[in-house]
Amino acid sequence: MIQVRFHGRGGQGIKTASQILGSAAFNSGFQAQDFPLYGAERRGAPIVAFTRISPTPILERGPISNPNLLLIGDETLLNDSQVAPLCGADESTIVFVNSTKSTEQIQKQFPFPAAPLILDLTDRCQNFLGKGHILSTALATAGARILGNIDLKDLLEAVKMELGQSLKPETLQKNLELTQDIFHSLSPCTIPEKPIKALASSPLIELKQTPVHEAAPIILAPGNMALRKTGNWRMQRPKIDYDHCNKCLICYARCPEGTIKIDEDGRPQIDYEHCKGCMICAQECPGHFIQTIRESEGAHE
Amino acid sequence: MNKHSKMMLTGNKAAAWGVRLAQVDYVPAFPITPQTEIVETLAQWFSDGTLTGKYTNMDSEHSMFMAAGAAAATGVRVFTASSSQGILHGMEALYTIAGWRVPLVMVNVSRALATPITLEPDHNDVMSTRDCGMVQLHAETCQEVLDFILIGHRIAEHPQVALPVLVNMDGFYLSFTREPVVLPEPSEVARFLPPYKSEQPVFKASQPMARASAVFGGATYSYFKIQQDLAVRQAETVFHEVSEEFAQYFGRNYGPVENFMMDDAEFVFVMSNSFATKGKAAVLELRKQGIKAGLLKLRLIRPFPTQAIADSLLGHHKVAVIDQNLSPGMGGILFPEIVTSLYSRINRPEKFLSVIGGLGGKDILKEDFFSIVEHLRSDKSEGPLFLYNDDDLKQFKKVSHIALAEKGGSES
Repeated sequence: MIQVRFHGRGGQGIKTASQILGSAAFNSGFQAQDFPLYGAERRGAPIVAFTRISPTPILERGPISNPNLLLIGDETLLNDSQVAPLCGADESTIVFVNSTKSTEQIQKQFPFPAAPLILDLTDRCQNFLGKGHILSTALATAGARILGNIDLKDLLEAVKMELGQSLKPETLQKNLELTQDIFHSLSPCTIPEKPIKALASSPLIELKQTPVHEAAPIILAPGNMALRKTGNWRMQRPKIDYDHCNKCLICYARCPEGTIKIDEDGRPQIDYEHCKGCMICAQECPGHFIQTIRESEGAHE
Repeated sequence: MNKHSKMMLTGNKAAAWGVRLAQVDYVPAFPITPQTEIVETLAQWFSDGTLTGKYTNMDSEHSMFMAAGAAAATGVRVFTASSSQGILHGMEALYTIAGWRVPLVMVNVSRALATPITLEPDHNDVMSTRDCGMVQLHAETCQEVLDFILIGHRIAEHPQVALPVLVNMDGFYLSFTREPVVLPEPSEVARFLPPYKSEQPVFKASQPMARASAVFGGATYSYFKIQQDLAVRQAETVFHEVSEEFAQYFGRNYGPVENFMMDDAEFVFVMSNSFATKGKAAVLELRKQGIKAGLLKLRLIRPFPTQAIADSLLGHHKVAVIDQNLSPGMGGILFPEIVTSLYSRINRPEKFLSVIGGLGGKDILKEDFFSIVEHLRSDKSEGPLFLYNDDDLKQFKKVSHIALAEKGGSES
């Protein structure tokens, strides 16, 4: 059985990617299973999705902790210690990252167990679809191609199955072209077998009763949302052009998260630790003085 | 009031007196037959100044239980009451407030559930709340109703428990039935049950806190549920402590179970609530006829007192569990719990019989107990045995005849 784990953000089509790969495997005659995992749906929040592919019936369900193939759609997640997309990956795990960086650059930055495969999917999605952040087709194609056991025609059929209902014919056509482009830009890998470990017992413990304030879902620390850094939910980052900003403060009023503050000079300041990148400020700015930039690039400015 | 004065009280009035003596601070209420008299009485006492706290009419049982839980989270003493469809309507809130780990006492006046609609009792309503994470005390007499409310507040408010406590009584058979009830001296109640001072954090103005956070991934959820289980289990130890103290103050001694004529009993009936009185009478009749019968009455339903049950039942040969509830397709709800309490023990009874009776307030006759003994003596399979006889069928047919008359139905 091949187990594939997808990482990305709400709105990037990560769940759809897992479904396209699932359908493609199914079309190619495999047993397949796919499912997403996310809390209360929020655009930009980290989500995980999974696809299992096997020539025999799949006797497993739920999250994949030790994947054969890891597909990271959004490289900013590598910075997120809660998501920890590399968690459970070992030397036998093939890791793919959607990035503009070189393998050497990204390996220096993050502790990959082995050299990751890299392709800039966002750029191709921007070219083919005009939307760099919609990664469903691209990420599924990367996965299918790396696995090497799925025919291109089965994959194209899967893209039609999963997207045909909701997309206009011309948009679907562009997705099919994107599929062919990415399919031919990557090469199949040999997926190493995972070593089979003998079962050992789980280290079960007996919990002792604790006082109620620890034993019930009570939160005593008020206002702790400030500690929940939501800045890494951004796919796009707003950037205020202070040369032209006239301090009208419409962005301050419209920010639904209250992440724009006013500094001593009366200028709006974005709190990037909490801004979720909804880009409402950019849409509302009357003079269009707030730019939208790709997060993975903006973060280093 | 004289020390230990006795009054003729209905179960409902006894409950109201329990609340009055406990000096409860807040009662959110929503009347439903057959418990309306409890909240009517309390409304009167709050309105004329006999009780000094706050009484609020809510718009449903769901709001009522939420209000009760929220008030308890501020650290005041809370009571509320419900019944039947009402407690089911509030079910979501019951799980919620039990999870908040807040102390309060509620009375459920048992009444069978629709459909068909009836007003008379059985225990499917209270059994449906079995898994909410509340402590449950089931009363046989009006006296137990009053006493369990006082004991219930002590258990609920114990720092190692901090949970809602439900006191159950049967509709009509207790709720509307008057019998002599000893009213404890208020000054003694005040010593047994002093004003509530929470030892856990409570809601206060300008001190924000949350009691109902969302958690994901299962590990945190499981932790809190296991802690809830530990707290409900701990309530048994606390019940013993509090009962002992209660006996010192008031002379009435309550164990988690009551053994009636059990010493040499060959045939044991396991029962709970008001029909246990009928069971005791039947035991005495059977004994007159030379049949060694006994009765085990359950008072504590959650936590389930498995050790006390095993202590009572081990060594006896034949046990019939009489459930006044029905899980269709399975049988009585308490039956498997009793069997589980004994399964792994040496010297366990050789025969268990599941009996279903008293549904929708249908009487359980002394003759029914004789039939149960016959079944226990026979080598028939385990059941469930439904206590339903020829007369019952005749009564049904009378009604059915009228209902189907237009269609030319049932002529027999």
